[in-house]
Amino acid sequence: MNSSTNKNPHERARRLIALTGPDGLSNNRISGSFSDERSSNAWLAAHLETCGSCRAFAENAAETIHGLRAIPIAAERSLVSATQMMVRRRALELQRQRERVWLVSICCAAVTLSALLSTVALWRGFEWLGARAHVAPSVWRVAFLVFCMMPALVAAILLLAKDKDRDKDKDQDWRLAAWIGSYRGRSE
Amino acid sequence: MAQESTEIARGLRRRDPELLDRLIEQYQHRLLRYLVCLTGRRELAEDLFQETWIRVLERGHQFNDRYAFSTWLFAVARNLAIDHMRRKQPASLDGLSSQREDDDEAPFDVAATGQASAFDLTLRREQGEQIAAGMEHLAVEYREALVLRFQEGMTLEEIASVARVPLGTVKSRIYRGLSALEPWLKGERL
Repeated sequence: MNSSTNKNPHERARRLIALTGPDGLSNNRISGSFSDERSSNAWLAAHLETCGSCRAFAENAAETIHGLRAIPIAAERSLVSATQMMVRRRALELQRQRERVWLVSICCAAVTLSALLSTVALWRGFEWLGARAHVAPSVWRVAFLVFCMMPALVAAILLLAKDKDRDKDKDQDWRLAAWIGSYRGRSE
Repeated sequence: MAQESTEIARGLRRRDPELLDRLIEQYQHRLLRYLVCLTGRRELAEDLFQETWIRVLERGHQFNDRYAFSTWLFAVARNLAIDHMRRKQPASLDGLSSQREDDDEAPFDVAATGQASAFDLTLRREQGEQIAAGMEHLAVEYREALVLRFQEGMTLEEIASVARVPLGTVKSRIYRGLSALEPWLKGERL
């Protein structure tokens, strides 16, 4: 208890009553040392013997708390089973997701490993070809780079072409809509 | 408890569906009660209940077995509730309380339960109704503190960890929340 409540014994008593509840201080529900509790308990008991208003407060508090405990809010069986089903379904989803992530990780690792190995082999292949064709090293190195970048370049070109087609379609749609609008305007 | 937490942490890392089924069964009422208290709307609470368990499945590896599973679970649920409100309106938990103004559905509808005598049942029901009405008008942070403290039986430190506020703030919230409920219990505000 702080000093302000110590100055007012009624306030202190009521706070103690509120914090301990009907079970009393003996149930160790106030934070503090055991000796503090015992002394608070003794002080409260002595105070309640002499103070009628605090005694009334204690009785009311006890009734209020009993009243609080008497409010029955129960979960329905359907809610519980629906929740259990939802949780099981979500658990299954999460498990599948984890398995997918695991699979993708393994694939990534395999691709990285094969890329590393094939890069070394390709590098040596290009070097050998360059030597056979009697070209400068810079030439076969550029050829190697272009070869490595080829899949990404082709994919980028294809994607761009696809986007362009979509834009063209959109333009056509707009033109068609504008034409329909103007036709309607004319006919009205 | 430490051994149980370790086993849960191990199972969550494996995303063990059997363990999750068991945890859903075990915490169904507590979690829903907490979410209803946070959001004030049963439908939203049920949606968040499902989202919470999906989040537990996905982020299970983040659970630290030094803490109780319930503390972590409630923290996850709380974060989801705040995220939901931020998506709807840029506010924190305050948004949750303001949203309930337009909601006709009473989230703390009380139904008689248990094997008590008719008198006890009526008394408990009346008391519950009064407190439930009071809870609806309480600021969400007080409601949360009261629910975690007295319904879930959490320690003050655990509540501070779930709500991510200092211990002193938790104490104040409980005290103020309980004091604010007093008039409702006396029937002065019904």
